[in-house]
Amino acid sequence: MADLKYRLIPYGKANNIHVPINIVLIDTKDIAACKINDTDAMKAVAKELAEPTGISIFDMDAVTTTSDGIMIPGAIIKMAAADNGSINPDFGILPMAEIAYSEEIIKEEPHLKQWDANYKGRKLFRGPNPKDKIIPVHNVVITGRASNNNSATEMMNIATMEEILLPILGQMQIMTGGDIVTGYTGEVISVGIGMTVKELYGRVFPTRQFGAGDTAHGSGIYAKTLKKSIPCIVADKSILAKYTLAALKAGMRAGVEIGCSPAVIAVSKAFGAEVDIDKITPKALEELQSIGFTKDFIKQKTEILSEEEIIKRADEIIPGVESLSKIKSTQIVHIKTLKVN
Amino acid sequence: MRVMHTKLPDFIDKMKQAVKKNTPQKNITINGLENLKSAKMQSLRTGRIESAVEEIAKKQNVDKVELIVIPRVPETMHTVIVKGIDKDGNCDSAILEVINILHQTEEAYTSGCKNIEDRRPQIGRH
Repeated sequence: MADLKYRLIPYGKANNIHVPINIVLIDTKDIAACKINDTDAMKAVAKELAEPTGISIFDMDAVTTTSDGIMIPGAIIKMAAADNGSINPDFGILPMAEIAYSEEIIKEEPHLKQWDANYKGRKLFRGPNPKDKIIPVHNVVITGRASNNNSATEMMNIATMEEILLPILGQMQIMTGGDIVTGYTGEVISVGIGMTVKELYGRVFPTRQFGAGDTAHGSGIYAKTLKKSIPCIVADKSILAKYTLAALKAGMRAGVEIGCSPAVIAVSKAFGAEVDIDKITPKALEELQSIGFTKDFIKQKTEILSEEEIIKRADEIIPGVESLSKIKSTQIVHIKTLKVN
Repeated sequence: MRVMHTKLPDFIDKMKQAVKKNTPQKNITINGLENLKSAKMQSLRTGRIESAVEEIAKKQNVDKVELIVIPRVPETMHTVIVKGIDKDGNCDSAILEVINILHQTEEAYTSGCKNIEDRRPQIGRH
C-alpha cells in the first residue's frame, strides 16, 4: 500500500465562484512514487470521490502552450472524467500526444521558436493525437455527467450544464501553490480564447486550423458573448505578464507567431513591441473591436514600461475576468492522499 | 431486404409488446426517441433489445420497465439548416452550419444499480 497525493478543488463554492464538478490535479511523480500506472491512479481517485470529477495528470518537467501560443513550463499529459466511482472505458481517459522536436515543426509552427529560446530539451505536450480517441471532434473525455474538455481546460457537469474554465497557466499555479484569480470570464476572455495559433495536436484543435492573427470563433459581435459568464480559475495576471514577456523577448509577435488575444496585445503595447494591425484578419479585428480593441486603440502609442513594471502593474495592463478576486491557490485547493496498491 | 431495418413506430410497438407478452400488468416508458419523427432502426439489435425488454420485465423485483436511448458516442455531430421561408412557404435561402453536442454517458442513468450486464459489441461492430 502507498499514499497517492492529489490536489482537489471540491464541487461547490470556491472563493467567489461555484465549481460545478470536483477538480483533481495529480503530479506524475506522485503516481510514480506509488509504483502504479496513470490509469490505476485515476481509477482510485474516481472510486474515492464517487461524484462527477475531472482529473488531470501533470508532468511539471515538460512544457506546453497556452491557446494563444505562449510557451509555459509544465504540461498535462493525461486527462479523465469520472462519475459514480468509475471511469468510462471508451470515453473516460485520454493521453496527450508528445510532440517530437524537429526543424520542420518549428517551421510549421513558428511560435515553437520559444522551445529553443526558453525550454530547450524539455518534452512538449498539448492535446491528444486523434488516433487515440473515438470522440470525433472535441478533445474531451466523458463519464456519466462529468466532462473534461479542451484537453482538460474546461470542465462541465453535462446534467446541470454548469461549467468552469481552467486555463492551463492557472492550473500550473495550482500545482505549484501559487497565486490565482477566481471570477467570471467576461467578454474579453470570451473573445481572447478564440485567438489561437496553428498547432498539430493542439489543445483544442487537432490540425493546424486557425493561425496567429485569426479567430477560431469567426462570429463577429457574438464572439464576446460565447463564453462570457463562466466561472474561471486563472493565474494571477503578473504570471501571465511574465510568460507573455518571455515570449516577446524570444521574438514572438502578436498576430504573427503568437495569437492576437487582448492579453498579448496589451502586454505588447506596454513593452513597446509593435502590433502590426495588417497581420490581424478582418474577422479577428471585428471581434477585438467589439471589446474596445479598435484599430486606433491598438495603434495608439502608450507609455513604454520595463519588464518589472509590467509584471508589477499587470492588473491594470491586462484586461479580463469579471468579479475578479486574487487569492493564494492554497486557499481553495485541498492536498489529499488515498491508499493505493 | 424489407426486414433489414425496422420502422420507428414498429420498434416502439415491439418494445411494448415485449413487456406485455408475459407480464401484461407491467408497463414500459421509452425515452430518447421523442425527437425522431421518422427513422429506420437496426433490425438485428431490435430483436436483441426486444429480448432484453422481455427478460427485464419478467424479473420478479421489476415493477415497470424504462427504455432509454442515448448516443453510444457521447459527442454527436449535427448539421444545422437555417432556412428563410417566403410568404408562399417556399425556402427562399438557407445557410448550412454544424454543431457538435456533448452528451452524458450511460453511467449517468445507472447510478446505484449493481446488476448491469453490458451486451454491447465493441464500437464499430454490429
